[in-house]
Amino acid sequence: MTLAARLRALGVLGMNRRNGVYTSRWNQRMHYPSVDDKLETKRLLRDAGIATAPVLAVARLHSEVRRMLRDLDSYASFVIKPAHGAMGNGILVVAERDGDWFMKPGGQWVDRSALSYHSASVISGAYALGGQPDVAFAEERLQAHPDLRAITAEGVPDVRVVVYRGVPVMSMTRLPTRRSRGRANLHQGAVGAGIELDSGVTNFAVCDGRAVDVHPDTQQAVLERAIPEWELVLEIAVRASDQTRLGYVGADVVIDAEHGPLVLELNARPGLAIQVANRAGLVPRLAEVDRSVRPDMNWRDRIALACDIARRARAGALR
Amino acid sequence: MNRGAALTGTLLVAIGLSIFAWKTLVLHLPVLPSNVENLWRVELEIDARGSGQRGSVRAALPDSDSQQEIFDERQTNDRLVFTIRTEKGGQRTGVWSGKFDGVHNLSHGFRVQLAEEPLPLPTELRLEPPKDVVDAYLHSSGRFPSDAPEVRELLANLAPPNPSDPLGQMRVLLGYVTDEILTANTGSDDALLTLAAGEGSQVGKARLLVGLLRAAGYPARISAGLRLRADKEAREAIWAEAWVGGTWLALSPSLGFFGARPPDLLLLRTGSSTLVEETGLDALSFRYRVLRESLRADEVASFMVPSNPLLAAISLYRLPVGSQSALRILLVFPIGALIIALIRNIIGVRTFGTFMPLLISLALRELPLTLGLGLVGSVIALGIVSRFLLERLQLLLVPRLGVLLCLVVLAITAQSLLGRTYEVKDLYASVLFPVVIMTMLIERFSITTAEEGLPAAVRRLATSTAAAICVYPIFRIAALEHLMFGFPELVISVMGVLVWIGGYTGYRASELWRFRSLARGREEDAR
Repeated sequence: MTLAARLRALGVLGMNRRNGVYTSRWNQRMHYPSVDDKLETKRLLRDAGIATAPVLAVARLHSEVRRMLRDLDSYASFVIKPAHGAMGNGILVVAERDGDWFMKPGGQWVDRSALSYHSASVISGAYALGGQPDVAFAEERLQAHPDLRAITAEGVPDVRVVVYRGVPVMSMTRLPTRRSRGRANLHQGAVGAGIELDSGVTNFAVCDGRAVDVHPDTQQAVLERAIPEWELVLEIAVRASDQTRLGYVGADVVIDAEHGPLVLELNARPGLAIQVANRAGLVPRLAEVDRSVRPDMNWRDRIALACDIARRARAGALR
Repeated sequence: MNRGAALTGTLLVAIGLSIFAWKTLVLHLPVLPSNVENLWRVELEIDARGSGQRGSVRAALPDSDSQQEIFDERQTNDRLVFTIRTEKGGQRTGVWSGKFDGVHNLSHGFRVQLAEEPLPLPTELRLEPPKDVVDAYLHSSGRFPSDAPEVRELLANLAPPNPSDPLGQMRVLLGYVTDEILTANTGSDDALLTLAAGEGSQVGKARLLVGLLRAAGYPARISAGLRLRADKEAREAIWAEAWVGGTWLALSPSLGFFGARPPDLLLLRTGSSTLVEETGLDALSFRYRVLRESLRADEVASFMVPSNPLLAAISLYRLPVGSQSALRILLVFPIGALIIALIRNIIGVRTFGTFMPLLISLALRELPLTLGLGLVGSVIALGIVSRFLLERLQLLLVPRLGVLLCLVVLAITAQSLLGRTYEVKDLYASVLFPVVIMTMLIERFSITTAEEGLPAAVRRLATSTAAAICVYPIFRIAALEHLMFGFPELVISVMGVLVWIGGYTGYRASELWRFRSLARGREEDAR
């Protein structure tokens, strides 16, 4: 059997099919701004009573950068982000500060002018998708949940849930490594661990395309880990996707040590690496959702459906 | 693939191919260019401005001889009267006359087949020139001062008359004017001034040589024409001709030939170096446009005047030479877009910018690939280094991009200067580089380096380069250019194939590699 035929038999979703069949059909262009602008997403979710990472300060214009940095004077740690960034680009994390000196997670110290330069680049659109003028904002720096600290280096792990037509279909947790420089991006070297939707337990993990049992930096087991507050994670992921009116969404949830699960951002073009982390294809699950989902289902019904689909997928009863 | 895309794609491909089939199978238009050598289309464009007076514009017209065959002449006369006057010696002149009011756009075009083989030198060297040739071309004049003492003295020192070897004597004279007198565009047109300064224009050198030849007793005259070069504006060339052994021998002290004209030289006028003249006008400007033909004359005719009147009306071969050159490049673009779509959606390779590789290839089309990539590579390398240095200044985005753009412009300017110094004309052509695209490429490379690491940026630069290399040949294949230009309906078919690719929802080749662990893992489980 050729490689392509084998992948097809496994139901692996390819980029062309994701774009041509799923996102182009279920994600209407007019609804993109609500997820491409992170501040807009936050407003939308706040109105619906869904927890998001708290915003500390915003700079929409170059002239507002000084004020934004002044507003941050009372915080020892924070994160400066572009509202229109993609793939974690343009994010500057301040882990610690000493007056006008700020330490990045890697231990490098920078001064105030470096922060204002970074903010100005963000506003100029250096990290925005189309290079258009952007908005810089500062967010509270979230803390990894104690249960996940053993399998995290430097950054904060998050949970990616792919929600199709309001039904979670696949999920993974992304664990930063030293090589990914604290970022939770698989292609930069983070660990991706697939999560069983019905139990919230990790069952498989990859790093750099290879299966792993332990975190490469901490050497702690990454399999059979229970994600804390899993039910709440699923709930906010589903309800957040309902708010966007997008039919194919990747919801990124961080389980903060203090605030619990928060929606970090939503993605209208979620990547396909989640299939590698789960050692499973998305297509059978998407097809099953198409067969089973009904418009009158509320989010609880849809999570129940998701758990059912996950159990059947594990039993090999989905094809 | 959804049915809509499949049907639309098939329909478009079918429309394009059926028109193509009709033209090739029913009308028998040639699909591939024939192997014609040295067939050119030349067009003289004249802008003449007058303020209501009567006047005329006179242009030298070429004639067929043993080294060139002229055919398919046509002209536009823009409210004036066009006549062709033939002088006694056979020189033809095109005359536009009438009342010049405002700007008149005149043109005269023709096709010319130049002979590749040089002529054998004459052998009957003792043949006496006929009386009319002697009368017209042996006397001393202001332009050709064969009686001037400095010319006489130079001739006596250089090459005393030697009746047994006239060709040898001519060679010595030609050698002197070629090597001892510099050619300078700013040099004098006058023969004696050229001799005194040791430097002259093409005209000055040719006149000096004619003077020397006449002083040595050979009837001699000046000739003017064009050096034909593909895709470039033709350059005027001036040379001398001497009558010996019953024929006119060509001698050029600027281009350095003796005997027959080189195969890229078109003779327009003998006896004068002026190609276009006017009387009664306020202003006159003219230029020659040249296009290398890839079809035989009869094949061109079948495209220009096909048996079907509708087709004749939309034949691109009837357009002026300038638009034809542009369209020839333009019509190849869809093929480039097709290759890019294949690379990105079927192979699944990421590049910087969607059509960036296409535009880089377009800029490089006149250069050999290695030289072109070297030039682009050096500009980009310089840009990337500067970009890292600029990072320290913490500039805002748009001014920073502006600085990079200036650096790219400076780098290209420097390369062009180098090209001129080392007489590499190819380098000189590189000023058409898409500057803005290169600037954005540098910026994206730097940001990718910062965000995803140097290996990722280098990888994407490599794939972008590979994509550019894949696209590059389409601008160089003459057969493809002919195909798309002769059969523009194929663009509709290309659109159809693009719709097919757009509807393809299967795996990209790169995804087979990306998901290989998935396929392998499951198989091991099964075991």
